[in-house]
Amino acid sequence: MESKNKGDLTINGFGSSNGGEFHHVFLNGKGTINTDITCIDFECNGSGSVNGSLTSKTAKISGNGKIAGNVNSSSLVIEGRAKIEKDIVVTKMKVSGHTSIGGSLKGEELKVKGRLKVDGDCEVDLFKGECHFTIGGLLNAEEVDVTLYGDCKTKEIGGQSIKVKQKSSFVSSLFKPFFQNELNTDLIEGDHIEIENTHAKVVRGNHIMVGPNCHIGLIEYSGTLKIDKKAIIDESKKI
Amino acid sequence: MNEDLLSKKDLLELTGISYGQLYRWKRKDLIPEEWFIRKSTFTGQETFFPKEKILERINKIQEMKDNLSLDELADMFSPSITDLTLDRDDLIKRNIVSQSVLQFYLENSRPFQHFDLSRMLEVYILEKLLQSGDINLEEGKMILEIVRDSATETRQKKCELVMIRKLGVSSCFLLVNTESFKVESGTKIVAQLSLLHCLEEIKAKLL
Repeated sequence: MESKNKGDLTINGFGSSNGGEFHHVFLNGKGTINTDITCIDFECNGSGSVNGSLTSKTAKISGNGKIAGNVNSSSLVIEGRAKIEKDIVVTKMKVSGHTSIGGSLKGEELKVKGRLKVDGDCEVDLFKGECHFTIGGLLNAEEVDVTLYGDCKTKEIGGQSIKVKQKSSFVSSLFKPFFQNELNTDLIEGDHIEIENTHAKVVRGNHIMVGPNCHIGLIEYSGTLKIDKKAIIDESKKI
Repeated sequence: MNEDLLSKKDLLELTGISYGQLYRWKRKDLIPEEWFIRKSTFTGQETFFPKEKILERINKIQEMKDNLSLDELADMFSPSITDLTLDRDDLIKRNIVSQSVLQFYLENSRPFQHFDLSRMLEVYILEKLLQSGDINLEEGKMILEIVRDSATETRQKKCELVMIRKLGVSSCFLLVNTESFKVESGTKIVAQLSLLHCLEEIKAKLL
């Protein structure tokens, strides 16, 4: 992107801009950008909104951000609350707080602490989360590593290695029978699968370890299968 | 749709790939989304693939994945036209087009400097059809026209070029994202060519 000679856009307090191409963009306070924006660095502190698509190298939303179009950025950091109404393409994405995405997400690395909602598919190389997530479509990742901090839901999970753990702390172990976080999904497919507290209709894979509090309709495995005493499996088949 | 379908489980067994690989290739767009066909079976939802297409694609990926990175492979399979230009001699050297067809192409197009991928596609289609003897030069002009006019379509979608002949009169058309089609019995399908396929073949020759 050739934007050395391009100016910066700073909105402090109330203000709006019609978008375009910039070097740095800062929205402090309540800034509105009315159309698509292309820049190197995008930063939104406070309550900012873009009524178009955002293309940038780095983007950071702290506070409350809303983007009505697509986001295309090599790095995207969300601290606070963000709402993106269409698709995201990123290399690295970090979410601390609450993010909801109306379309699908595609990237290499996604780290989530907090809450993530994706209406479409989520396709990344690494999905690491200590979170509460809802994915409307398929969660497809080389490595899925999730610690459940709330009831999670996704239609399908597919990948190489899939790990789902229950959050463990002293307090939660005291109240365990009352507060159980669950992952609900139709289908899990992977080469290495380790799951806890998961409700799934079908689990297929090579090496499967089913931990406590799982309820699985059908397991199909080709390598090894380990089942915890506290798991309920309706049917399992070796292929 | 009368295509033969293959379930995901059978696919893995037949090709010896793992779930990890399959999902990785899907993620990198090596396997298009449309090929994942969901159907409900007695065990719940299952995913099926068009048998011939998926087996061919996976064979290709397995052959080439040692030499090329996944991203390069994805470029090769994607229908979008990459920016790349060659000149005339290169095309002949790389076996994309023969001298006589190239001459015909040049006579029938406005003068230009370099071949970009969409021009290469045009010339390659001509080469294929003219060399096979399916069409004559007049029909070649017709094909050239339609491929040129619908360049924006061929860039994004899967297109198929069909040439028909009835009572000696020929006509050709371009099918965009079509599953199948039928012609009445008096009509003969002279040639049928998937543009996506041609692009892949060209790209394979370029690498």
